[in-house]
Amino acid sequence: MIRNHLSTIIIFLVTAAAGVIAAISFGKMHHPEELYPSTFLTKKGMLSDYFDGIKGTNGDTEVYLFDSGVEGGTALLGGGTHANEAASFLASVVILENLKVTQGRVIIIPRMNNSAFTCSDPMEGFPEYFGIPTDNGTRTFRLGSRVTNPLDQWPDPLVFAQYPSNQQLSGFETRNLNRAYPGRPDGNLTEKVAYAIIQLIDKENVNIAFDLHESSPEVPIVNVIVYHEKYEDIAMGAVLGLEMAGLQFSPETSPKNFHGLSHREWGDFTNAVPFLMETSNPSMGRLRGKTDVDLVLRGYCDNYKKAKETGALRIAYREDTGEPIEHRVGRHIMGFKELINSYNYYYPENQIVIENLPDYDLMMENGVGKYLNN
Amino acid sequence: MLYYIYTLILAYVTFVVVIEFLKEKKWRNQVAMAMVLLIFILRILQIK
Repeated sequence: MIRNHLSTIIIFLVTAAAGVIAAISFGKMHHPEELYPSTFLTKKGMLSDYFDGIKGTNGDTEVYLFDSGVEGGTALLGGGTHANEAASFLASVVILENLKVTQGRVIIIPRMNNSAFTCSDPMEGFPEYFGIPTDNGTRTFRLGSRVTNPLDQWPDPLVFAQYPSNQQLSGFETRNLNRAYPGRPDGNLTEKVAYAIIQLIDKENVNIAFDLHESSPEVPIVNVIVYHEKYEDIAMGAVLGLEMAGLQFSPETSPKNFHGLSHREWGDFTNAVPFLMETSNPSMGRLRGKTDVDLVLRGYCDNYKKAKETGALRIAYREDTGEPIEHRVGRHIMGFKELINSYNYYYPENQIVIENLPDYDLMMENGVGKYLNN
Repeated sequence: MLYYIYTLILAYVTFVVVIEFLKEKKWRNQVAMAMVLLIFILRILQIK
């Protein structure tokens, strides 16, 4: 009898301790890491400033404004639409922490879907955090989920009917911000966030908008610039400029009948010129091996090397070097710069002039940490 | 509404498992129940 009570007490205490540890670990995910904008930042606001329907929710997120004070165009840069795509978030952070705007304005939202940073994708084995070594120690960043936290939006429908197209997708996609545009003010949290971003684009008269992403090496839409058909010339100009810099990007037109995506709906519902960029991230692929921080940062995986050598699949993977984080972040930054250059060529009345961003070669030479402030 | 129904069901199941945990005489079964309880309690408390 005594022995039975003793085991009950011991197991209860061990369970309680495990519960407290787990609760602390989960709780940490709800505290976003501090970012250190460059000294040229002029204003920091919140997305709820544009639509108060998300105020006080996990969907609300920081909006950073760089205003040169010189008349020109306005660019919007969004990272972290999918919080499991490390280079998407990190590229926007590097730009935020180095940017100087000498004409026009640049608005940066590093965590487009802030709620997705508060959880991880189940059954994927992703690390919760990754660290980037800098001159002043290691900066730790969250590796979140592709979709909104189910604690913020639940349950998923069996079939997701996209608003307003009524296009039917898997129920899981109801929490995917990049299927939710243009959103609606009385919709679910993801639709409200999408609606707030559309409001920001309208109210700030955004001329050119970027949505940064990563995808699996075996997915056809990788290492691409996806453009709205109205703005093909700008995309082609940038692709040419990037080729001259030694970087290959495939131009892809946004499908007209695939709704809810930024490159489609920002172009249809706002006056902004939208572009979406994808880099190749082996840690997201189905062929990947052990999923750890090393794979997220070094991007090297023998499985992808073998798969590419078979020639059976079109795989965007560099066998010798893999797809390291500095390569992926560098590509995003170069894409951002070249698309703005190309935009300036076609819209000289709305010039946006940016400085102080590292180019690809410097990023490869010095690593990402060199360009982080802390 | 679904959320509240889900939470009520979860709270009921958790209560039943706690009763069984206290009645159970084999420690191995208690460990198994504790592992289930841990997740249920975190979910009831909206910790995820």
